[in-house]
Amino acid sequence: MRKFFLLVSLFLIPLAPVAARAHAFLDHASPLVGSTVAAAPHEVVMTFTQNLEPAFSTAQVTDSSGARVDQGKAQVSGNTMTVGLKALAPGSYKVHWHALSVDTHTTEGAFTFHVGGH
Amino acid sequence: MADSLADSLADSLADSLADPLIYARAVHFGATMLVAGAVLFAVFIAAPAWRGAAGNSAVAIKVRARLAVIAWIGLALAAIAGAVWLVLTAAAMSGRPAAQVFGDGVLWTVLSQTTFGRAWLTRFALACALAATLPALLAPRDRKSPWLEITAAILAAAFAGALAWSGHAAGGLGDEAIIHPAADVLHLIAAAAWVGALLPLIVLFAAAGADDASLTMARTATTRFSVLGIASVGTLLVTGIVNTYYLAGSVPALLHTDYGRLLLIKIALFLAMVAIATVNRFRLTPQLLQQNNIAASRDALRQLRRNAAIEALAGAIVIAIVAALGTMPPAIHAAHQHPTYGAVPADAAFVHIHLVEGMADVTVMPGRTGRARAIIRLWDEDFEALEARQVSLTLTGPGATGKPTTLPAVQRRDGAWQVDGIALSAPGNWTVSVDVALDANKRLTLIAPIVIEPGP
Repeated sequence: MRKFFLLVSLFLIPLAPVAARAHAFLDHASPLVGSTVAAAPHEVVMTFTQNLEPAFSTAQVTDSSGARVDQGKAQVSGNTMTVGLKALAPGSYKVHWHALSVDTHTTEGAFTFHVGGH
Repeated sequence: MADSLADSLADSLADSLADPLIYARAVHFGATMLVAGAVLFAVFIAAPAWRGAAGNSAVAIKVRARLAVIAWIGLALAAIAGAVWLVLTAAAMSGRPAAQVFGDGVLWTVLSQTTFGRAWLTRFALACALAATLPALLAPRDRKSPWLEITAAILAAAFAGALAWSGHAAGGLGDEAIIHPAADVLHLIAAAAWVGALLPLIVLFAAAGADDASLTMARTATTRFSVLGIASVGTLLVTGIVNTYYLAGSVPALLHTDYGRLLLIKIALFLAMVAIATVNRFRLTPQLLQQNNIAASRDALRQLRRNAAIEALAGAIVIAIVAALGTMPPAIHAAHQHPTYGAVPADAAFVHIHLVEGMADVTVMPGRTGRARAIIRLWDEDFEALEARQVSLTLTGPGATGKPTTLPAVQRRDGAWQVDGIALSAPGNWTVSVDVALDANKRLTLIAPIVIEPGP
């Protein structure tokens, strides 16, 4: 019995920090989160930490006045979500994403990027 | 400290218990274990136990009839709770009230276009096929073909194992996308074969009379159950470790999140069940099997039956915990919060520098003119600690007159890099440049502005 618990402990000890995740979170985006880009991008590409369900994953891009500047429905492929953009003037833009992971859990978040300017 | 941890877990449990999803999941999981366990028990334990002369004995007929009742009730409960689970999940996915998912094709979109929905449909088909085998498999009279038994066992295992695609195991990328669901499938099948078979085992023990034929049957069943049990426990242990690795990821995450603590309670219950199973295997089973002392055998049988009931109760609690865990954010998230953002001292200057290849959090303390120290924490794009061979910090003062000063950083025991003896000569917009040597020929330079306040 004691040997058994020793064995179990030995199995559990190597569980040191590892690289793993669950639920879909934004890993990185193009344009980069918070970045300033010189030329207006034609699309926002978001890469998530898990595969997404296309049927229920969405993104909206708005300008500083809150007007939608995206082309509508986001395209989902695996763990990336792409949303097309209208022609953007220099300024700040907010991307609000809503992701449904294949593990049935929803996550959402927002980030900004800037076009032109300084 | 311990009180606040317990309070936090209690709050989290109270939140979870208000969620009807948990009850649907718990009933569905329990019912799935019950029906799959009853079928696996009938095929791998009961059938060999009454092969031959005892095949149509009164006790065998009685046990088969009761197994049939367990299997049908399990299947019916699994179907009802599964339907509720589908509706609640569709509501959560679409962001609509549960009553509205029947309109607008939401339910069909979930069933046809999501991993959860496709797994649900597959398991519904498996349940129907399994139901078709039950009348013959659990008919009172013993007239089954081996093909029927194998088919039913495979369907039962698949019905339990395919649950893996209904939850956290489905979400991984890369290697995890293969290893995590594979481990979860085996975990579920092993759980069904052990925990799901406990109630059928109790039924068999209860039906066994005082006659020698009953005792022989109980002996065969116990021997086979103990082999199945050892295989299941081994599988549960290994696959459980794999699942914990993916969903908790670290010992601190296990200890400091509600998900982790609930998982530890589950593991403790599992170990208690294993401890009871060990007593059954190494003390009571040999006592039952000895041929020359009938009274001792009967006593062992009585104790085995009581222990199986205790294990089944612990197993039911484990299933309820699993139902709750699936609705909670896994512990792995907690490890991925920005670890330093909350811990920047008030008088420090702080900047987070973010590149695709890596990130650095630079804290300059105090963040005003005079002598200062800098702490640099390096991360890769997944917010995992970034290993570096050498780090140096270059500071450039404000304006055209600012001259760059480069200082080496020393790695501390906690993995952060520290630079001492920085002289901040003037207030204003400084530039910090972190030069990181990743390996012999790979460098990373992260540059950002940082504001230094005037001294006191």
